[in-house]
Amino acid sequence: MQNDDERLDGIDERASQGRLQLQLWRRLYRYTLPYKRDLLRLAGFALCTATADICFPLITKSVIDTVAQHREHARIWPQALAFLGCSLLLSCSVAGFIWAGSRIRTHVSHDIRRDAFENVQKLSIAFFDHRPVGWLTARMTSDCERLSNILTWAFLDSVWGFTVMLGTAVTLIVLQAKLALCVLAVVPALAWLSARFQKRLLISAREVRRLNSRVTATYNESIQGVLTSKAFVREQKNLEEFQGLSQRMSKASVQSATLSAIYVPLVATIASLALGLTLVFGGFELFGGAISAGTLVAFMTYARGFFEPVEQLSRWFAQMQMAQASAERVLSLIDAVPEIQDDPEVKRALAQTHSPGLAADGGKAGIERIELKHVSFAYENGRPVLQDVNLRVRSGETIAIVGPTGGGKSTLVNVICRFYEPTSGQVLVDGVDYKQRSLAWLHSNIGMVLQSAHVFSGTILENIRYGKLDASDAEVMEAAKLAGAHNFVMSLDTGYATQVGEGGGRLSAGQKQLISFARAILANPRILVLDEATSSVDTETERSIQRALGHVLKGRIAFVIAHRLTTIRNATRILVVENGRITETGTHAELMAARGHYHELYRQQSLQESTHSLSPALLMS
Amino acid sequence: MVPMTDSYSSLWSLTRGERARYAGTVAALGCASLSLFATPQLAKTALDVIVSRDLSTAPSWLAAPAQLLGWPITRSLTDFLIMCGVSIVTCAALSGVFLYVNGRLAARASEAITRRLRDELYRRLQSLQASFYDTADTGDLVQRCSSDVETVRTFLAADVVEIGRALLLLVCATPILFWMDATLACIALVLMPVILVFALIFFRKVKQLFEAADVAEAELTGVLQENLTGVRVVRAFARQDHEIERFGQKNASFRDLSVRLARLMGVYWGASDFVCVTQYGLVLFFGAMRALQGDISLGTLFAFVTYETMVTWPVRQIGRVLTDSGKAVVSLERLREILNAHEESREPAPLAERAAGAIRFEHVTFGYDPAKPVLHAIDVQIRAGETLAIIGAPGSGKTSLVRLLLRLYNPGAGAIRVDGQDISHVSRAWLRKQIGVVLQDPFLYSRTIAENLRVGRADAAHEHLVQAAQDAALHGTIERFEQGYATLIGERGVTLSGGQRQRLALARALLRDPPILVLDDSLSAVDTGTEAHILRALRARKGRHTTLIIAHRLSSVMHADRILVLERGRLVQLGDHQTLAQVEGPYRRLLNIQHDLDADISSELHALNKPRSERISAP
Repeated sequence: MQNDDERLDGIDERASQGRLQLQLWRRLYRYTLPYKRDLLRLAGFALCTATADICFPLITKSVIDTVAQHREHARIWPQALAFLGCSLLLSCSVAGFIWAGSRIRTHVSHDIRRDAFENVQKLSIAFFDHRPVGWLTARMTSDCERLSNILTWAFLDSVWGFTVMLGTAVTLIVLQAKLALCVLAVVPALAWLSARFQKRLLISAREVRRLNSRVTATYNESIQGVLTSKAFVREQKNLEEFQGLSQRMSKASVQSATLSAIYVPLVATIASLALGLTLVFGGFELFGGAISAGTLVAFMTYARGFFEPVEQLSRWFAQMQMAQASAERVLSLIDAVPEIQDDPEVKRALAQTHSPGLAADGGKAGIERIELKHVSFAYENGRPVLQDVNLRVRSGETIAIVGPTGGGKSTLVNVICRFYEPTSGQVLVDGVDYKQRSLAWLHSNIGMVLQSAHVFSGTILENIRYGKLDASDAEVMEAAKLAGAHNFVMSLDTGYATQVGEGGGRLSAGQKQLISFARAILANPRILVLDEATSSVDTETERSIQRALGHVLKGRIAFVIAHRLTTIRNATRILVVENGRITETGTHAELMAARGHYHELYRQQSLQESTHSLSPALLMS
Repeated sequence: MVPMTDSYSSLWSLTRGERARYAGTVAALGCASLSLFATPQLAKTALDVIVSRDLSTAPSWLAAPAQLLGWPITRSLTDFLIMCGVSIVTCAALSGVFLYVNGRLAARASEAITRRLRDELYRRLQSLQASFYDTADTGDLVQRCSSDVETVRTFLAADVVEIGRALLLLVCATPILFWMDATLACIALVLMPVILVFALIFFRKVKQLFEAADVAEAELTGVLQENLTGVRVVRAFARQDHEIERFGQKNASFRDLSVRLARLMGVYWGASDFVCVTQYGLVLFFGAMRALQGDISLGTLFAFVTYETMVTWPVRQIGRVLTDSGKAVVSLERLREILNAHEESREPAPLAERAAGAIRFEHVTFGYDPAKPVLHAIDVQIRAGETLAIIGAPGSGKTSLVRLLLRLYNPGAGAIRVDGQDISHVSRAWLRKQIGVVLQDPFLYSRTIAENLRVGRADAAHEHLVQAAQDAALHGTIERFEQGYATLIGERGVTLSGGQRQRLALARALLRDPPILVLDDSLSAVDTGTEAHILRALRARKGRHTTLIIAHRLSSVMHADRILVLERGRLVQLGDHQTLAQVEGPYRRLLNIQHDLDADISSELHALNKPRSERISAP
């Protein structure tokens, strides 16, 4: 069964779990290099902890032997001193490895997350078309934590585990080689069992996590869609579906818990087998005087000692196998190369300083003309969206774009803004192909208002100010007035300080559009793009915006996409875009006269039709 | 049925119905502890016998099980040792079985409770009054249903068992220790309170830091999600550097808090290890001294040392677990805010299954905050089959009217009647089944298109789906999707545009073929050609539904039988297009806006194309 993540990115989790892909981990281990000294400390503390772990049974042995010999005036204070020393060593090294390990873990997690985020900021808009926010968020939060945990603690436990096992084995063999075999014989069985179980444990735990996120998503849906569910009387049906899910969830959880309820006792029983064997064979030896009582006790203690390292090591091994898909995903974010990025030439230019009149890339600062020459564009799947588009726009012009849904209007604007690059043809900005200019320069000259206006959580003031971060309150209000937002903002109890809620949830669609319009005006861009910017605003408010618009658009290049033709009547030129081509272009009057598609659209809006039913008196007014 | 609220008043009440399982858990745990404690006793016996080199001191009970099984037992060293070894392994296996029973029972009990809790939360969230959602934040509610439930679950599944284990171990171990040697037993237990209290104090102290780290992580995630959902805005304003800086700050502060937390944890585990090891050392050395004096045997010393290692760790865990249970209490409290919120009341359904569709608003006054009414004494009668358009500026109360009709809210004064029945006296389910509504911001389920349509009518045949989709001008769009009506929509499938979402919601409402159809600004994102198509389809259905259309475009409202104009919550105009066009007022103003344009265009056309424009303006 394919899960959602696999469907999104094509990373096959089962295949990537197969065996350890060392190059993947080597690549991730590079993130620990800046913390080399901490890594060395971590290894040191792990060794010290292991040493203390091995020494304690030896001290116990020596004490027991002293007791068993029943000598007069036996002294045990040297052992007590050694014990104290070992205790101090253990507690200091435990504190030490937690410190050093946590430092590495948190820093590595921070660094991976930082790199991923910074790279994601550079990626082209097309990258986000197929990757939901939830997917990206999971990569940069839980996956980062998980990987940095593995990198750090797997390293610690490997050093500690191998040292303890090796040290114990050597100690046992030195103490009594024959008896050592009894204990060591159990270790392979222990390791085999652990390896098998750990992986299954992780798989079932992941199934629980997967179902859990489904449960969370269902809650989310139930809350967001509560009005719809009520309106369609879906409550009972939804509840039944949810109960099905929660039942699967609880079943999976019980299964997962049962698996570990089998595993832990099973391993403990195997460990006790070692204890039993030691007692039987060691008993003979002790009886025969071949070993001391202390040695037998030490053996019995060590028999338990293999338990933890084997368990830990097999757990980390399984963790690493399971996390490989996560690792690939996170690295894919860091390694993704933006499809659209600055030319090497431009990057060089950006590194130099230029005279104040010029842009950061050394080109002209302002934008006067935009020209599209034979621009075509197709998405990855090959379906052409724009074909051979030619267009010239000068500053001061407002270009209205109309046409049926899916005809390519938004794509045309996205190509002009260089969110997508033409697959063939050129976009010239003041005569220079925009691929030879910097992206940041172009984008900082653009103001955009989209139909599904996005507002960030925070206050209204902060949201408008996003257009110009250093704008004064007065400037913000000025922009809001121009956008027709001021009135509704002032009608709110807390005015501009009103919190808009997550994703602007406390505002209506129309209000969000007005705020994002104000934001674009505040940015004072050379190019203003209005993509269905006032579709959710009532006619009167829109009318007042229209009036302000004349002032706002003055001296800029503007692209306006709208369905309401009244909105675009005043445009300098109107383009009709159909099936990716510009089929008509001209002023409103010209296009009306041409009786083409535009004329038809206009007619469809039924204004003319309506004149039939209007009273003559009104027509005269 | 027992009132549900009672079952969630405390962590203890939560366990109702599962207490037998929990009792079984405790019993299994006790048996497991006892069989676990047999191991040191066996080792002690073996050691004492071997060290004394006197097989006659071997206790006879050791051979009892074997004799019962009829095995030939001799009083030889070999048999004695094998007996000890086999007993040790048997005890371990026995304790393993008990532990398994314990683990399984605890899991089933805790999961059953959690499942009940989850289902109840979901049921509540669906049936709460709509006003609950006025102030509630989706993120916060989801957080409660996921992480708060998880906290309670962890408490029920792991923490309860952990505390039980530690207590049982102590309770079982103490008599055994005292039975073996009272003096040494006192020493063996002397530092236990210290370990416990130290853990308690520490975890209470760092609780705040834990919470601060949680908050920092939540903020980090918040900034990340905002950035990703608003990626187009970020790009359009070239604000990447600003975003990187903002994210960098949150990222760093989360890191720094984690490091601080880790430092404290390091100190705690280091110090706590030291205390535990010291406790072990005390037993070892005091025990050794007593053994040297001949007060206890070597085997007893060994047994003491082993018990010590078995008991210390669980006791140390108690501090952490008790702190966690504090969290569980807080979480349950937060969940109770959902579980105790008011549900929608239930009234009986009227006899008629299908209403005729006449609606009457009788002096309806309403405010989300009763002190600030958003609707004032609205009084209007709508005939069955009539189409009423509602227009007005944002905030004039259009949507509130719809919400009242759906009885998502109850009017503060006045009444709404459907077919003459006051809707506050009929069942909500019945009422809502009479209404097909397209909300302003339509919500679609992340399922297939067909499933979303069938929300309107579960048993609709495919051709009905197609018919509804055609009327909503959506069929062509759907056909263009690779999987057609089986296309999955939402985050996990294709993303629909605003216009497509509106049309799908419309098709869903049409499929229901309801007596009352309500369109709340539901064509705003649809282009004019499509809008005309939809309006034509709606006109063809005229008389089948009583229709309420809220819209901004004149084209959507002018063909309605009557038009209702709202201004700041008051009905200011009501009448058909012809009538309202004649009188001075908001509707006329609206007409004029579009008309100025129209007149302009007419004259433009007149100049350009005389015969055509004459044809158009001729009555």
